[in-house]
Amino acid sequence: MASFAEPLRPNIASADVQLPGVRDYEQVDNEIIGTLKPTKGWFAAFGVAVALFLMGAATWIYQIYWGLGNAGYAPPVMWGVYIITFVFWVGIGHAGTLISAILFLFRAGFRTTIYRCAEAMTVFAVMTAGLFPIIHIGRPWKFFWLVPYPNWRLLWPNFKSPLVWDVFAISTYLTVSATFLYVGLIPDIAVLRDRETNPVRKRILAVMSLGWRNSEPEWRHFMKMYLFLAAFSTPLVLSVHSVVSFDFAMALTPGWHATIFPPYFVAGAIFSGIGMVFTIIIPIRKFFKLQHYVTINHLDAAAKLCLFTSMVVGCAYLIEFFIAWYSGVKVEQDYFWNRVFGEWWWAAWIMLTCNMIFPLSLFSQKLRRNPSWLWILSIFINIGMWFERFVIIVPSLSHEFEPWQWGTYAPSWVDMAILVGSFGWFFMWFLLFIKQLPVVAIAEVKEVVPPRLRSHARGHGIDTEGHHLPYGTETPGEHD
Amino acid sequence: MRRGLVAAFRELDATCDAIVALKKAKYDFTVYTPTPRHEIEHALEPPMSPVRRYTLIAGLLGVTFGYWIPIWTSEYWPMVVGGKAIGSWIPYTIIGFEVMVLVGALTTVAAMFIHSRIPKITATTGFDPRFTHGDYGIYVEAAPDRLKEAEATLRKFGAVDVRGES
Repeated sequence: MASFAEPLRPNIASADVQLPGVRDYEQVDNEIIGTLKPTKGWFAAFGVAVALFLMGAATWIYQIYWGLGNAGYAPPVMWGVYIITFVFWVGIGHAGTLISAILFLFRAGFRTTIYRCAEAMTVFAVMTAGLFPIIHIGRPWKFFWLVPYPNWRLLWPNFKSPLVWDVFAISTYLTVSATFLYVGLIPDIAVLRDRETNPVRKRILAVMSLGWRNSEPEWRHFMKMYLFLAAFSTPLVLSVHSVVSFDFAMALTPGWHATIFPPYFVAGAIFSGIGMVFTIIIPIRKFFKLQHYVTINHLDAAAKLCLFTSMVVGCAYLIEFFIAWYSGVKVEQDYFWNRVFGEWWWAAWIMLTCNMIFPLSLFSQKLRRNPSWLWILSIFINIGMWFERFVIIVPSLSHEFEPWQWGTYAPSWVDMAILVGSFGWFFMWFLLFIKQLPVVAIAEVKEVVPPRLRSHARGHGIDTEGHHLPYGTETPGEHD
Repeated sequence: MRRGLVAAFRELDATCDAIVALKKAKYDFTVYTPTPRHEIEHALEPPMSPVRRYTLIAGLLGVTFGYWIPIWTSEYWPMVVGGKAIGSWIPYTIIGFEVMVLVGALTTVAAMFIHSRIPKITATTGFDPRFTHGDYGIYVEAAPDRLKEAEATLRKFGAVDVRGES
């Protein structure tokens, strides 16, 4: 067994992470399809998610009936929890496309078992994000005014407005991410179709698989398509959060009007997205016993990416302070002083602690390879990244140029209920997804498993006499 | 009248050997594999997928449309602010880029559908559900008098199961 052990320090430069606990294609099919069986834990989690979503939906209806005044907005702070949460959820979506597209182009092997989960997370996160500008406008039935088509006076939207750019960026991102997820699923749906015994479900899967048969011409066109889709998605990842940052950076508000915003937002988005990947994938690998697919080495590699993006974000925070000091602009300097020692100091320090200080623990290999710590850290990252957007939006708007304009902001119960409801909405879709479709990509995992060969029986997970080696849930080589 | 044979293989190298032999004997055949394998690609030496051409053309059309629509609408209903250009190409780059990605990506997927001939109404002829799990497969189509010879070739290279298909 020891000769098949995964190295303790995988070569992350080539990210060549193996799956020694996976012996053949049949095991892959059985175990990944096995995750689709509903369990009591799944029903409990789904029930909680639906309850939270219904609470959020009811609160939104309440807000529509009684007006946006219930949302805690007070001049001059007219962007609050809804815009903060919009930016937060768009950011969450970014790790999915990074893992599925950018790491695909870089041939990073560690993406294989985690990318499906991350892609699904992207689609549901962007779906959630898309709700918030609609909630924020107060009269949601008017949202289509941003959609680029002329009104009855042939007046078009202003294409020079960052809000219109946002509509283009987010809708393109949602469409391309959903397409990427679906086409990547087609070969796996075909596997499910051929194993399904329930005739109704088999019929549905047959329609969804589009008659995919795993033929060589299908794979050839599929792989070319996948490559180009990844090539399109890669700059899209960078552009979408850059465009979201333009919502702020194009304004003259102190703390917003900064050229560092696009790369700073992109790094933050990827950082928060990887945090959410940990939040989701660590319980999944434990409850579905997928430790030999999503191994400690996969988590280790993702943790290094998390550490890198944390340091980029931390560097951006420090550069913001430097630029404010170096600019010599009084309002800018006051804003940044106010950020750490003013009314909103607690929010800024939550942000700095969760996003800059705690992730430094990932320099320790022991902690990088400890799923419990990674999960706890991911919760801190989620909190820290939500507060990062809070720190960008609220202090800037509450302390603009003139002291007589200054004000304060306190989120109301309506804001908070809709924020919590958005988590219910996100997890409701995600839990439905993992019970209907494979959360680990079957076809791509099979690519990593060495194929059965006639020429030599001895190979991956096979002993000298050609018998399969026993395997456990713990991957060999996972422990120090 | 042409008929077919469906053969299932357990091993990758056996499948590749059978492919080479069938190619040499000039049979028409389709290969199935549970996951893309370079070994099969090398044995088959298939032509390059034309999907990339659709991507290029759709991307160019997308970026052209993405620039044209805001420029045209700005000229159609000008918003005169200071001395700023009416049709300002720098902010319109965002629209141009996003439309290029959208049109390019969707066309690429459509091209894959067209060339892979999906959606397929029926998935039964020349196919076995084992090919979506772990087995490799070859579907040989030939005139009835050549099928015996094809079956012998498939069995010689390690096919675990060969059945006729009409």
